[in-house]
Amino acid sequence: MYKKFRLAWPFLLPGLAGLLIFYGIPFVGGIWYSVTDGKVQNAFVGLENYISVWNNTMFQMGLKNTMELSLICAPLLFLLSFVLAAGLHRIRPAGGFFRSSVLLPYLMPSSAILLIWLIWFDFRGPVNRLLAQFGAERIDWLIGPEARIPVILLFLWKNLGFCVVIFMSALQSIPESLYEYATLEGASFMKQTFRITLPLAVPSAFLVGILSFVNAFRIFKEVYFIAGAYPNEPLLYTLQNYMSNMFNQLSYQNVTTAAYIFAVIVFVLFGVLFLSQRSALKRLNGGD
Amino acid sequence: MSNQKGFRIWLARIVLTLFAVIILLPMVQTFLYSFSSIPEMQGLMDTRGKRTEETWMDLHLSPHKISLGQYEQVLVKDEEILRFFTNSVVYAVAILLGQAFVVPAMAFGLSKFKFRGRETLFFMIVMLMLLPFQVTMVPNVLTLRFMGLLDTAWAVILPMLFAPFFIFLIRQFMISLPDELLEASSIDGAGPFRSFLWIVLPVCRPVLGAAAALSFAESWNLVEQPLTYLSKSETLMPLSTRFNQMMAGNQGYEFAGAALYILPALLIYLFFQEDILAGIQLTEMK
Repeated sequence: MYKKFRLAWPFLLPGLAGLLIFYGIPFVGGIWYSVTDGKVQNAFVGLENYISVWNNTMFQMGLKNTMELSLICAPLLFLLSFVLAAGLHRIRPAGGFFRSSVLLPYLMPSSAILLIWLIWFDFRGPVNRLLAQFGAERIDWLIGPEARIPVILLFLWKNLGFCVVIFMSALQSIPESLYEYATLEGASFMKQTFRITLPLAVPSAFLVGILSFVNAFRIFKEVYFIAGAYPNEPLLYTLQNYMSNMFNQLSYQNVTTAAYIFAVIVFVLFGVLFLSQRSALKRLNGGD
Repeated sequence: MSNQKGFRIWLARIVLTLFAVIILLPMVQTFLYSFSSIPEMQGLMDTRGKRTEETWMDLHLSPHKISLGQYEQVLVKDEEILRFFTNSVVYAVAILLGQAFVVPAMAFGLSKFKFRGRETLFFMIVMLMLLPFQVTMVPNVLTLRFMGLLDTAWAVILPMLFAPFFIFLIRQFMISLPDELLEASSIDGAGPFRSFLWIVLPVCRPVLGAAAALSFAESWNLVEQPLTYLSKSETLMPLSTRFNQMMAGNQGYEFAGAALYILPALLIYLFFQEDILAGIQLTEMK
């Protein structure tokens, strides 16, 4: 609407200044830290820091656990929200109660919900009691490798609603007549889901997928709630733990280097997701 | 055929309702437990974590006897929870106020002005939005350290003011506003600044409500930032970082603290629910 950049300045200035000061400049400036040794002379060391961080066992453990947790959480979140949105779409216009309930946790402080989680997943708590009803062994949910499960469930509980809402609005934009026509032609429910719903929902599906990963990568809160700042269980040691430790030791060389390595990994992953979305769209559209 | 369809719809309804109940249960149970007496709660919590015993926890859905003892302890007798609660309020309010000055203006600049590099700038904001906290915390820390703000409340507040997600969200809404709206007001002699304040902002009320509610929810559940930026100043921590330590202490009034902490978020959700729904759907279009 307004053509002159001169007019835009006053609006952009506060935000732009903040983004530059807190993100842009230090992000570029931090590269200097990652290629110097941080000693008094501060010598240039090239890629030495990158090699040493990459080979560091704690970094590897944190990265591996963060990646594993996200690769479990993100697809689960994606599938579960698609199924729920599809179910919700079937029963419309009813389902308002479910929609409100499923979105509510997104606004809730999971920090306070933790109290209930600690009771539910206690060794003598209701979840184990339910398991015992079905004749299964009790599980140590809060200590040991199984502690991942309450962590993942807390994450899903909180983030499900957001993805369901996005999927739902995608499903709503698919014209009803397509389904009616398909039913007349004798297409089965499964065929309709894969031939109509899925192709038309792929753009939103891509978005939900990306957002699932963005949220899953930063998984740490849930781990901190259940296992504390210094988890005893090695499977719960995440990248955030590594970053915090390095930060507390004032090891800025390692913090910056680890951040750049992780940023590259994240963007490579998003690039792969983006390309697979493009080819999926092509396949679905060009199928017939 | 139609009978089968009806059956499937009923099945979907039942499954979804069950799901909704499970999702709501933690909140309901927190509120119910907050009305147990302190000794009852301590007794229940004492049975936690004992691996050797074969019996189950003595669990009830609701308290034996309604008591306001926990609330009395939290609100009147004991200052600790209230102090951390106040910290949380300070962070949430400061972040919201700051964002109110920065975010809508930036979104307006990115949507209703044409200049070279606008799309690049927007693309960079989206990229920033996609970066995980473990990456963005590093530039933040470098700046905060340079300014000497680490271990002060500013360390938590300042970086949040420029949250790229909310710039993105409001920009998505503003870009869909018709230009005629602004043309009409500039014919009346209003410059961009007055049009922004008196025309654009009122029209954006739903998306501003959604952004405010989502931003509140984020700052009400802060964990990573205070733990990293305030590692040496425990007294500045928001309540959201304290619940797991409180649970270990077992003083019997944790649930009143949790219920008080859930309540503002719940009220905001009930008040802004429709805006939030519409706001989340905005993230979809490009």
